[in-house]
Amino acid sequence: MTGSRPARIWGLVAGQAASRGGRVSAGDACAAAVAAVEVSGAWLIAARSAEAGHLMRVTDEVSELLAELQLTLGEGPGPDAAASGGPVLASDLGEVGAVRRWPVFSPAARQAGAAAIFAFPLQVGAIRAGVMGLYRERPGSLSAFQLGDALVFADTATLLLLDAQDQTAGDAAAGAGPGGQPPDLALHRAEIDQATGMLTEQLDVGIEEAFIRLRAYAYAHDQGLSDLARDIVARRLRLSPDRDPRQDGQL
Amino acid sequence: MASCERADAYPHWPVVLPVPEGVRGMDEELLSDTFVELTDTMVVGFDVIDFLHVLTDRSVQLLDVSAAGLLLADPRGELRVVAASSEAARLLELFQIQNDQGPCLDCFRSGQPVTAADLAVAAPRWPQFAPAARQAGFAAVQALPMRLREQVIGALNLFRASPGAFAPADIRVGQALADVATISLLHERSMRHSDTLNEQLQAALNSRVIIEQAKGKLAERLGVDMDQAFNLLRDRARTSNRRLSDLAQALVGGIETFTGPAASRSWQQFPGDGQPRQQPGK
Repeated sequence: MTGSRPARIWGLVAGQAASRGGRVSAGDACAAAVAAVEVSGAWLIAARSAEAGHLMRVTDEVSELLAELQLTLGEGPGPDAAASGGPVLASDLGEVGAVRRWPVFSPAARQAGAAAIFAFPLQVGAIRAGVMGLYRERPGSLSAFQLGDALVFADTATLLLLDAQDQTAGDAAAGAGPGGQPPDLALHRAEIDQATGMLTEQLDVGIEEAFIRLRAYAYAHDQGLSDLARDIVARRLRLSPDRDPRQDGQL
Repeated sequence: MASCERADAYPHWPVVLPVPEGVRGMDEELLSDTFVELTDTMVVGFDVIDFLHVLTDRSVQLLDVSAAGLLLADPRGELRVVAASSEAARLLELFQIQNDQGPCLDCFRSGQPVTAADLAVAAPRWPQFAPAARQAGFAAVQALPMRLREQVIGALNLFRASPGAFAPADIRVGQALADVATISLLHERSMRHSDTLNEQLQAALNSRVIIEQAKGKLAERLGVDMDQAFNLLRDRARTSNRRLSDLAQALVGGIETFTGPAASRSWQQFPGDGQPRQQPGK
């Protein structure tokens, strides 16, 4: 348990991508979470701000059914997680609380073969990228360690989804930082959040786009995200809406 | 009474609410109100972050300290800044996490109080933190664990602008406030579903991120610093009786316009037409 949890999990996600012979994607984070968190299956829904979202990846038929049910009904742990900004940990769908909370979804999910569902919002503050869902055939809570891992899988999937939206970055981003290193998971830095908010004004864009542009600039200039954010917050650096920051510093 | 001593006697620390009596110069009415506030988690719409802000804000009001900050461990295993009485204190807490150094971290790891009466001579102990804290205007620091028996869930940092030992009464009361908050949070966790607190904490931490994003947006718009942006947000939330996180979400989403009498003063500083820009791609 020493070393960095994000780095260990990035290794698992990259391994998943390698085993299917593709570039690392958010779907790999979803698939790799199944074994690591000891669940029966997982699904990933990509959704920007107000969209209902679309299904990006499922690991089995039950997962697909669970995801489709929630998308159709607009009810369940996934929609609730997206709304609250925190995970929804429904360790027993047969519990009266779960049935009362999701009267249509809970019985349907149990019939589909799920006894527990853990839904993780793929969000960074107001930035919304989707929802990752995990299910178990038997009821039971995630251990503290599994919950910690699941949260980092969700963090990783969030960045991979946002990078995939970065049309102009091409191969450059692909989720990884320079040199194929794990992406900068320093999500929990106030300067990054503040700089992202500042960029919405500087670039006159929404919060998702501001965050994507921030990461793209850091990548293009081979600069740490925290350092870059600090420069922006200190007003040593402004990004201009007229000039695409990825044009310079990018081969 | 003996209960006053309990906060210092860690290994045997029981679940007793150690309400100190007759502390000199302290607002006793506010003190007892605060204890009530910190035990009242069963209210509808209980918000962990608001709750912890009560802890940091009341610490500053009640104790001879300039600022207070609070770190809590998240399930990822990371310490997170969850509340601070000022932007300076928040940044200093973040500084400790980012540099992996400082009294709050030492306190969290050991589960014991950590004190530095004069940060001017604390550089050997914390080569990065001590100068950063002094630059932020603080001369002394006291870190108090948020701990129940073997379980350390976080730490409360008290900062003072002037050097010198913290009054024992202040340390006792500060620890008592931290203890009560810890018990309330753990009680909350045991009373409800065991997963609920984790759900709430993560949602609250995400709300905190939204607040930081909103601060950045407002700071850029108004040409103010982050502390001023936060104060504007907080004042606006108070006068309109809304949650800070809801207001921040509305601001980042381009819904909140900050119009109305309470905000007109600040909006006059806005460049351009003074209107919030529409967010594209909603």
